[in-house]
Amino acid sequence: MAEPTGGRPLLQVEGVVKRFPIRRGVLRGAGAVHAVEGVDLAVGRGEVVSLVGESGSGKSTLGKCITGMIRPTAGRIHFDGVEVSGSSRGARGNFRRRVQPVFQDPRSSLDPRWAIERTIREPLDAFRIGNKAARAARVRELMDLVGLPAHLSQRKPSELSGGQQQRVAIAAALALEPDLLVADEPVSALDVSVQAQILNLLADLRQRLGLALLFIAHDLSVIEHISDRVAVMYLGRIVESGTVSEVFTDPRHPYTRALIDAIPRPDPTQRMSRTRLIGEIPSPVNPPSGCRFHPRCPVAIGVCSQDDPQQTTFSSQHRAACHVAAAQTASLSELPHERAWL
Amino acid sequence: MTTIERASTARPQWRTRFGGREGLIGWTILAVLILIAILAPVLAPHSSEAIDSTRIFAKPDLSHPFGSDDLGRDVFSRVLYAYRASLSIAIGSVLLAMIVGVPIGVFAGYVGGWADLVLMRAVDLLLAFPALLLAISLIAILGPGNAVALLAIAIIYVPIIARVVRSSVLVVRGQPYVLGARTRGASHWAIVRGHVLPNSAGPVLVQASVLMAFAIVIEAALSFLGLGSQPPTPELGLMLAEGNNYLTTAPWVEIFPGLAIAVTVLAFNLIGDGLRRSFDPHGVTR
Repeated sequence: MAEPTGGRPLLQVEGVVKRFPIRRGVLRGAGAVHAVEGVDLAVGRGEVVSLVGESGSGKSTLGKCITGMIRPTAGRIHFDGVEVSGSSRGARGNFRRRVQPVFQDPRSSLDPRWAIERTIREPLDAFRIGNKAARAARVRELMDLVGLPAHLSQRKPSELSGGQQQRVAIAAALALEPDLLVADEPVSALDVSVQAQILNLLADLRQRLGLALLFIAHDLSVIEHISDRVAVMYLGRIVESGTVSEVFTDPRHPYTRALIDAIPRPDPTQRMSRTRLIGEIPSPVNPPSGCRFHPRCPVAIGVCSQDDPQQTTFSSQHRAACHVAAAQTASLSELPHERAWL
Repeated sequence: MTTIERASTARPQWRTRFGGREGLIGWTILAVLILIAILAPVLAPHSSEAIDSTRIFAKPDLSHPFGSDDLGRDVFSRVLYAYRASLSIAIGSVLLAMIVGVPIGVFAGYVGGWADLVLMRAVDLLLAFPALLLAISLIAILGPGNAVALLAIAIIYVPIIARVVRSSVLVVRGQPYVLGARTRGASHWAIVRGHVLPNSAGPVLVQASVLMAFAIVIEAALSFLGLGSQPPTPELGLMLAEGNNYLTTAPWVEIFPGLAIAVTVLAFNLIGDGLRRSFDPHGVTR
């Protein structure tokens, strides 16, 4: 559904489903966690797409499917026109080089016993790129690229700050010159002041290397400035997608609206006219009938608990899956939202 | 990015590597004991097996600092020689158990699934046997002796080591740096060698040092039951067993081998504490 602006997308995700079977004791077959339920997503070359949603929305699972860490139960993932979900080893090997993950917590994504130079060099060693001297030069280049001073190269991760650790993780991810980085909450574990530095670094790398970025976050404020497009996930589905300006200024799905209202605005004069989300995300083992958001939705109508809403197109990029939004051309902003949600 | 000043740790690198003061003391004691075992023929003032009827139960004196036993043999010389058997059994049994147990644990933990299930049930089966009963059965089949005692203790240790290795491998396997290494193209072999083994070695080595200490005790127990070393071979457990009969009349026959065991166990325990400390990946030395 979400499509990049022009050209064949670098990454094309079609109808990806990931279910984790639940095993209780010796007997199996006690249902499944429906983590991702039929997601379509595309990322163009050099494009930054953000995937947002609260915990349990399946955004991280989708990210793992895309980096090949887990295999989707169904659906297809094409990378640069080649199918990589469940394809031959060779195709996956090449794909692995070109799609690299960046994890949330840099403390656990770096081997605590390895000097950072060795961590950055690991992918070069794995693919036997160049000789020893060439690899050492490449490591220096990568450290410079992510803004790490050369004298830190023999440090262990525990001797670095959180921001420096995340720079190391990004340098290691960049070693194989990937086309796409899948960053799963890369700044959530960092201090707010450091978050901005890492976000600027990612934006800068995109400019300099033409890198595409799939940015997974639960916080809209983090992604607002670096993304081209946004896809909002709820309980394994993409409920709304579009360009940043479309989604932020004209949200069509009530869930997106709630997320935007949850962004803290440092403006004391602004009245507290926020819509708040009440309650927890429902269990992905037994997702609600019809629209998965209807039990928490402030504008739900009868049909919402019956029929699963289809994606409605609002502009060339902007889509949302909501019966109410589809029924009215007017933006949801005209609806009263004093009422507590749910 | 701010640059942090080069961290200056007051204590020298080599000291931290050996695990602080405790570790250093433990390694020093062990080194001395190994030297004693190797140099026993040079260090011993008397023969370990020479019977001297004039010195039966003779009290400790300057030329016989640990006194003499029921056959008039020099206890000091016998203790020096006894370290050969005791240390080889303690170290050898644990090394042998690690050679077998570590690959089992790594394979079960890293591969998981059916391999894990099958291997761990086999290990449980072995673990279900009382340790001494297992050792005694083996000795009943193969006959008593140092080599058999070593083998018996190694078999007792295999399941313990395999379990410890497996559990720490399970933790490391789920770490993002292992998942990341996979997506960066590292082979399973490279991951096991580079990430899994070094990061799961800590608990195993600590366990190994404790097991070495315990091996001396098991071996003493086997010898006490007459199933370990056979007389007249000097061996600490055997000497303890023999001396037990004369504890009231000639306590030195019992006390000195006992102290020798205690010092060895202490050394292994100190090394274990030191290893625990130096394998803390975050380098927190308290």
